[in-house]
Amino acid sequence: MLTFIIRRILWTIPVVLLVILMTFLMMRQIKGNPFRNSERAVPASIQRNLDRKFHLDKPWYEQYAYYVKGVATADLGPSLVQRNQNVNDVIKQHFPVSLKLGAFAMFFAIVVGIPLGILSALKQNTISDYLSMGFVNIGYALPSFFISTLLLYFFAVKWRDVTGLPTNGWGGWRTWILPSIALGLAPLTVFARITRGAMLETLQQDYIRTAKAKGLRWERVVGLHVLRNSLIPTVTAAGPLLGYIITGSFIVESIFGIPGIGKYYVTSVTGRDYSVTMGITVLLSMLIIVANLGVDILYGFLDPRTRDQRS
Amino acid sequence: MRKRSITWAGIVLALAVIVGGSALGATGAIGHANRAQVLRETIGAEPPSLDPGLATDTTSANVLLNIMDPLVKLGPAPALKATPGAASSWTMRGATVTLNLRHDVRWTTGKPVTSADYVWSWLRTISPELGADYAYQFFGIKGAEAYNGCDPGKSNCNALRSKVGIKALGKWKLRIQLTSPQAWFPQQLAHNSFLPVNKAAVTKYGSHWTEAKNIVTDGPFKLASWKHDASLTLVKNKKWRGAKHVKLQKVILTIITDASTALNSFQAGHSDVDSTGLNPSDIKSQRKHSYFHLWKALGTYYYGINVKNITNVNQRRAMAFGINRQQIIKYIAQLGQTPARGFTPAGIAGGPTILKNAYFPASAQVSKAKAFLKKVKNPKTNIHLYVNNSPGHSQIATAVQAQWKELGMNVSIKVQEWKQYLQFLGPPPNSDVDVYRLGWIYDYPDAQNGLVLWTCGSGNNNTNWCNKKFDKLVAQGSRTANAAKRYQLYQQAEDLISSAKGDVPLIPIYWYVYSNLIRPYVHGYVINPMDQTDYAKVSVK
Repeated sequence: MLTFIIRRILWTIPVVLLVILMTFLMMRQIKGNPFRNSERAVPASIQRNLDRKFHLDKPWYEQYAYYVKGVATADLGPSLVQRNQNVNDVIKQHFPVSLKLGAFAMFFAIVVGIPLGILSALKQNTISDYLSMGFVNIGYALPSFFISTLLLYFFAVKWRDVTGLPTNGWGGWRTWILPSIALGLAPLTVFARITRGAMLETLQQDYIRTAKAKGLRWERVVGLHVLRNSLIPTVTAAGPLLGYIITGSFIVESIFGIPGIGKYYVTSVTGRDYSVTMGITVLLSMLIIVANLGVDILYGFLDPRTRDQRS
Repeated sequence: MRKRSITWAGIVLALAVIVGGSALGATGAIGHANRAQVLRETIGAEPPSLDPGLATDTTSANVLLNIMDPLVKLGPAPALKATPGAASSWTMRGATVTLNLRHDVRWTTGKPVTSADYVWSWLRTISPELGADYAYQFFGIKGAEAYNGCDPGKSNCNALRSKVGIKALGKWKLRIQLTSPQAWFPQQLAHNSFLPVNKAAVTKYGSHWTEAKNIVTDGPFKLASWKHDASLTLVKNKKWRGAKHVKLQKVILTIITDASTALNSFQAGHSDVDSTGLNPSDIKSQRKHSYFHLWKALGTYYYGINVKNITNVNQRRAMAFGINRQQIIKYIAQLGQTPARGFTPAGIAGGPTILKNAYFPASAQVSKAKAFLKKVKNPKTNIHLYVNNSPGHSQIATAVQAQWKELGMNVSIKVQEWKQYLQFLGPPPNSDVDVYRLGWIYDYPDAQNGLVLWTCGSGNNNTNWCNKKFDKLVAQGSRTANAAKRYQLYQQAEDLISSAKGDVPLIPIYWYVYSNLIRPYVHGYVINPMDQTDYAKVSVK
């Protein structure tokens, strides 16, 4: 297992280098001047000063090498737009907020989604199944901006005297509730559907019939055999979903006025803030790599066969 | 049966805890007028920089002009005359400006703000090393452009630095040598680029000197906290020279980029002023309320014309007369903007004189437009109209498309993303563009700041229009100290664009306004035409 983990960690280096290169080249392909934000044209002498200051006057491979050197020393460079901040500051200030929001959303998705999936599978073709799958399908179809706006309108404006929930901000548990639900709803529906599907498949297996035939209590069959074997696809989905939740929080962060990194990620692309886009991409790719590593480790516990194959 | 009930009870309980659990902590204390001299305002963006030399946007400028003490403040609209601020008086003799500084302006560290602070700060902004976007604000000062254009890697820039026309004459006097007499220069001093920076703080903290814990300022308010992308808190600077007249104790600026959320926050009583802006769909319902306020702005929304593609002036006149500005304002822009009969906004000092002959109509005059078009032998009937990707601009373009259709022109609307769009337009002007949309918001309240856009060498002129007479008039106006004479010269320049004799290289559509929502218990809140609010004059009663 240890060799496997070390090997996976070493593999992240070429992956990150490739991610940097791809992002770097793609960003440069998008037209637009990072220093021109309004109609005002930037005079030539000022443009030269800015290009020189941010090394944009150098050939692309030199810029790439310069950037990689920076990443190796944990210096992601200055922001081209937020002129008094560097990318490390941006990440330090905003990433924890998105991580927290993502964790809450994930928690909400797991604690509601998985039980909902289990319930649907165990009560297949009953009213409980129809209701929960109906909820899941509707939840899956509704975009997050719509959910956010609805939650905001009802819980923070219309019924604010009862709920006491604020319309915006990120400070204290009351501000966490609505955005976490809004962001967690989509992965919740994914978890519920995957869990239901996997459970139904597992319930058909011979070993379940055997377990029932040998007289095991139904709760034990479900808890020990069905659940454990059904959770593998759910865990597989959890890794990429974590990445989605953090990068996909742009809309929820904007609507709820949350100072997270998702918002920066999108605005840095539209603002051509090359260094911020690169910095966040590197960070998120590392996050997804770590999440997938975590998923692989979890596999080992859920399915001993995979553990044996690796070591 | 029992098992099913338990499962259901569990789900209901879980949802109740998650969704409704917050009710336990409801405060119930929202929506009341805030009477503790604390102003809560929502703004639509994080200030990109609170470094006076690097700030280029109005959000940063507004914070800066309240935490700093500008040399000059702008008086009431429409004149927006330069009134004494940190400079108690000034004289202008030809191209030389001498400023006398007040002796009682102090940094928050307690040290006095002297002429040496200004010299150091301005040279820092002009320096090629800082890479300040707005260094061009100083290009009217002798030697500034040459110093800014120096490459420190290739030559010694110190010689050029010493030639910049900014000198401290003792502790309290500042002499500025301009490239030519510039009548508007005192008003330009009200711009945030001319605020001083504290050398000790900049040297000690580098680029992080603008953080709340490091920043040193000299204005009526101090920056108490800056939670990036979340909020800024300003508190009254009790040691400021005019502190006894400042009523507000605290200003909390909450950053909400989403217009609906900001409106919800205002309606829920979480904010006293909503300056985030309104979604077009909310304008109609909000305009009815007494808390809805409109403020005249110095800015013009216009369509530029590539005169190399649409060569005949009569076709350009026809296009200008074929646009129904009134309808665009009523049904699309919705904020009661003013139909623009010329490029220079009517609200600017000297506006009525400058626009005397400007003749673009508020409503479309189709018959007149057709008459103009009849004079054109081979009018260009397939028009490429470029706009950037914002719903409002596309809607206006669609309206114009329909209005020009009546004149027999087929307009294809091309939409591009903002940054790409700016680069695409030029300079040099893109030959595929027949007509393009842009706007112009004034940096300082003198018509020169707008007219100079249309000079031959301007980087903002993507029309290919070059009229030496126009350039001469603008240059002459710039040098003329006498306001009445200056406005006459500007009028002659404006005539070359928008009068019956004009070349019509652009079609002005409307003059901008600012809007915001202000609770009735907030007094003295004014947005001037430069989009500035002086919190030192605001109170909550």
